[in-house]
Amino acid sequence: MDSSTEPTDTIAAAAAGDVAAFECLYRQFSPRVYGLCLRLTGQREAAEDCTQESFVAAWRALSRFERRSRFSTWLHRIAVHCVLSRRKGLRFEYEVAEPALGLPDRADPGSGTPPLDVERAIAALPEGARHVLVLVGIYGYSHAEAAGALGIAEGTCKAQLHRARQLLTSTLGLEQP
Amino acid sequence: MNDRQQDSLDRLIANLPRDIVPPGNLWPRVAARLSIRPRHAPPMALAAAIALAAAGLASLFTWAVLQGPSVPRVIQTVAATTSFDEPRDPKYLLARDSVEKTFRDRLALLEPATRAKIETSLAVIQKAHEDIRKALAADPQSPVLEQLLQSTWHDEFDLYDRVVRATQPTMTRI
Repeated sequence: MDSSTEPTDTIAAAAAGDVAAFECLYRQFSPRVYGLCLRLTGQREAAEDCTQESFVAAWRALSRFERRSRFSTWLHRIAVHCVLSRRKGLRFEYEVAEPALGLPDRADPGSGTPPLDVERAIAALPEGARHVLVLVGIYGYSHAEAAGALGIAEGTCKAQLHRARQLLTSTLGLEQP
Repeated sequence: MNDRQQDSLDRLIANLPRDIVPPGNLWPRVAARLSIRPRHAPPMALAAAIALAAAGLASLFTWAVLQGPSVPRVIQTVAATTSFDEPRDPKYLLARDSVEKTFRDRLALLEPATRAKIETSLAVIQKAHEDIRKALAADPQSPVLEQLLQSTWHDEFDLYDRVVRATQPTMTRI
C-alpha cells in the first residue's frame, strides 16, 4: 500500500480507539517509519525499538491529532523525536553485516553504484550531517521542517546538508579527476 | 561540487527506497503495549463518572449542600487515578459542559469581586490547557507537555472543588 495515501477513515477509527484500524495504519506506515529510523540511527535494533516506540506514542496521542498536517508527517515527526530521544549513549555503527533490509540490489541500473554503497556512505557521515541528509535529501523535508525536528537553526541545517553532500561526493568517488 | 557531481549525487539519493520493511513483524510488540493502556475504558469510565456528577449537580444543588464537596471529589478521584488521555467522547464533553454550567450557577452566588478573581483564575487555567494541548499536537511525544496538560486538567477541577466548598455556607444560609 502506498504510504503517501492518507486513509482518513482509518485514522478517525484509530483515533476513536479501534485497535484493528490502528494495525492497518501500522501496516501501511511502518515501512516508511522503519526506513527513517534505520537511516537516522544506523542500527537495526535501535530502528526497531524506535519504530515500536513511535507507534505506541502515536496511539497515545492520536486523539489529539488535529489534521493540521498529514498523518504521515505527524507520525514521522514522532519517529524523529524517538530517535533523537534515545541517541545519547548509542553508538552509531552501520550494520554492514545486515545489508538486505528490504533494499533493492541496485538503486539505479544505469548508475553503476549499488544502493548499499550509498547507504554505507550515508551511514558513515557524521551524525549531524547524516540526520539532515536523511530528512532533507531522502525524505523530502524542507530545511525549516528538518531544523525544527532536529532542534537546530535553519542555517545550520543548510550547512550540514552541504557538508553531507561534499562528503558523499568524495566517498562515492563522484569527484572529477 | 559542480553541477554534474550534484546531479549524480541527487540521482543516487533520489533512487534510494524510502520504505524499508522491518525485518521482523513488530506489530505484536506494539499491540502488546497498546493493550496495557486501553483507550476505551478511561474515557468511558470518566464520562460515566462525570455524567453521574453532572446529574447530581444539575438536579438540585441542595444535595451537594447536604453532602459537602463529594461530587467534585468523585471527579478528582477519577482524574487522579485514570491514566491521562484527554477524552473527546461526545458524552463526556456533554457531561463536562453540564458540570461547568452548574459550577457557574454556584459562582453566581459569590460576591462580584470574588467571582471575578475566580473567573480570571479559571481563564488562566483554561488558556494554559489550550496552549499546552496545541503544543502537544505539534510535539505529541513530549512527556513534559503531557504532564503539564494533565496538571491543568486537574487544576480546573480543583478550582471547581474550591468554589463548591466556598459556596456551601452561603447556600446553606439561603
